[in-house]
Amino acid sequence: MSVQADSIWSEALEKIKTWARVNSPWILHYNSGSCNGCDIEIVATITPRYDLERFGIKLQGSPRHADVLICTGPVTLQSRDRLKRIYEQMPDPKFVVAVGSCATSGGVFQGCYSVVGHIDEVIPVNAYIPGCPPRPEAIIDGVVKLLTSLLPAKAKK
Amino acid sequence: MMSTDVALQQAESLLAGLGKGTAKPEPNRLDVVIEASDLIAATTALRGARWGYLATLTGVDLGKEANQIEALYHLCEGDAIVTLRVRVPRAGGAVPSVYALHPNAMFFERELMEMFGVTVTGLSDTSHFFLPDGWPDGTYPLLKDTDVQAAAKQVKGSEPPEPGRQGDRFIVPVGPQHPALKEPGHFEFAVDGELVTGATVRLGYVHRGIERACEQQNYTQNLYLTERVCGICSHSHANAYVNGVEKLAGVQATPRAQAIRQLVACLERIHSHYLWLGVAAYEAGFETLLMYSWRDREIVMDVLEQMTGNRVNYSASVLGGVKFDVTSAHAQAIRHGMDKIEERTRHYLHVVTSDTSFLSRARGIGVTSKEEADAMGLLGPTLRAAGVTRDVRVDAPYGSYKQFPVKAVVDSAGDLAARFKVRMEEALESVRVIRTILDGLPEGDLTVKMPRKIPAGETISRFEAPRGELFYYIKSNGTDKPERVKIRTPSICNWIFVLKKAVGAQMADVPPLLAGIDPCFSCNDRTIVINRPRHGRQVLTWEELRRQAITHTRR
Repeated sequence: MSVQADSIWSEALEKIKTWARVNSPWILHYNSGSCNGCDIEIVATITPRYDLERFGIKLQGSPRHADVLICTGPVTLQSRDRLKRIYEQMPDPKFVVAVGSCATSGGVFQGCYSVVGHIDEVIPVNAYIPGCPPRPEAIIDGVVKLLTSLLPAKAKK
Repeated sequence: MMSTDVALQQAESLLAGLGKGTAKPEPNRLDVVIEASDLIAATTALRGARWGYLATLTGVDLGKEANQIEALYHLCEGDAIVTLRVRVPRAGGAVPSVYALHPNAMFFERELMEMFGVTVTGLSDTSHFFLPDGWPDGTYPLLKDTDVQAAAKQVKGSEPPEPGRQGDRFIVPVGPQHPALKEPGHFEFAVDGELVTGATVRLGYVHRGIERACEQQNYTQNLYLTERVCGICSHSHANAYVNGVEKLAGVQATPRAQAIRQLVACLERIHSHYLWLGVAAYEAGFETLLMYSWRDREIVMDVLEQMTGNRVNYSASVLGGVKFDVTSAHAQAIRHGMDKIEERTRHYLHVVTSDTSFLSRARGIGVTSKEEADAMGLLGPTLRAAGVTRDVRVDAPYGSYKQFPVKAVVDSAGDLAARFKVRMEEALESVRVIRTILDGLPEGDLTVKMPRKIPAGETISRFEAPRGELFYYIKSNGTDKPERVKIRTPSICNWIFVLKKAVGAQMADVPPLLAGIDPCFSCNDRTIVINRPRHGRQVLTWEELRRQAITHTRR
């Protein structure tokens, strides 16, 4: 009897956690060698025209409070360790979104001596948003797709 | 301002007796070959007569046969450029530091040291400037025969040590990941209470090695690479590069193509200044202004997208012309957008010159005199806000700027509020210029034929980007790949200003001070500078500190 009650409770708790996670993800942005193009588009997504905050998304400062890490740019030698460290500081469960051609593939900077490569050579990535730079709509679409994938299967359309 | 010929004659007479030979490669340039031992005498002669400012220092590897490295000191006065050419041996070469005369030379000299292995004597800090921590010693990435990929593989950890407390000094670390920074940089501010007593910056988080990559790709590929030096002023980079390569090839773009380039440059200036207005206001605690200015910035972004198909990195210029035309529908959309932008810019100009709470955060912050700004070698709106009229579009008009002239916007206050005012007035000026271009857009083709191989030679291309003068040095060798491309961005010259002004400022004023120069990390790539307080550590008693706090807040 008690075993069953526990499982009902934990199932309910899981549902609440997922609901909370999907409705208020906190986002951390890190530029590991980007040209700034993607970064200004990310800032544009939180400003009035695109208003990413309507999904409960908040751009904030500390890795320790973040659920989603948005990465831009190829990874340079100097920022490689810092990117790993930021990722490790984030509490589980955590998700990484690679924004832009450089973050997904290295882009035009492939082969430059100070560039290690794309983001998933350093940390695991959950969503890739291509483009040079991706439009704000594409960034919103990528983030929403990531959030929808967290919902239980039956809730998906 | 004196004419180009007069300026060059004056420079020639100032350098008489020091030069081992002179040449005039282009009408506005004078090359003077000098010995390393005469460098200080030559720069002193020019600086003593107030001739020009040090634009940059380019190193060129002359190859194994010549076994020499050439250091080029480019000094600019209006349209005139004097290049002091110093040759040193490839191994063990040394030049004296000109830091005492030109403070911004520190950045260029450290770059010369780590990229070419030339020793600069008299430089206090010789640690890495562009390259990551742990880069192998004795490996210089811009020497032609260096295996950079093998060297990069050897680089292990690259984290700066935790600063924490040093005796009774407390160090506040900021970055590389920090809510106030959209781009990575690592700052350490030594503080005594609220007072900053020392400032250090370690950039290099965005160093990708573009100059070396340029040498390995052909001219067309490099266009797309230089465009991605910076995503905010991408057109400026592409245009400066294209102007340089066209000069080398002896090709001139059609008047229509040049006018369209200028049109895009003006639109880019407006979007960049609006972007800056929001970010700088945000640093001063004015988030509402960020939201409003970024909402209005979308007007320009829409226009750019309609014309070029992309919001950022528009690829407007190609070698020999432009990629797209301005149709009457585009012109109408631009005019419509500019009407709105003009109205909004006037509103923001009113806000930044009259809002009391805003002015209390901006007035009297980071004050620079005209002489100080000139001596530090500042550039762009930061310099013009200190009363120095220096603008490449006015001093050395390129492309269609002779046909559609621009007025330089200057303010004499020299503080943060003046920087806001100058940028907003520049946006208004850009609106005016865009309208004149649309009224008088010349007819003609969009592109002319461009050779694939560029004849051997070297050239300098200067371009006024939203942040200040962008300087490209391009050397070709007759093939389809450049021998050397040197990129000097405006942000790097303005760093010295932040470090000098941060010392003695309140900690809370540091973010707006930093944002005031509109630093672009991806542009200036990577630096390390240590600025020690000028008069040693300032120790204040509790009473002095209290009095200072009262006088500061009463302002």
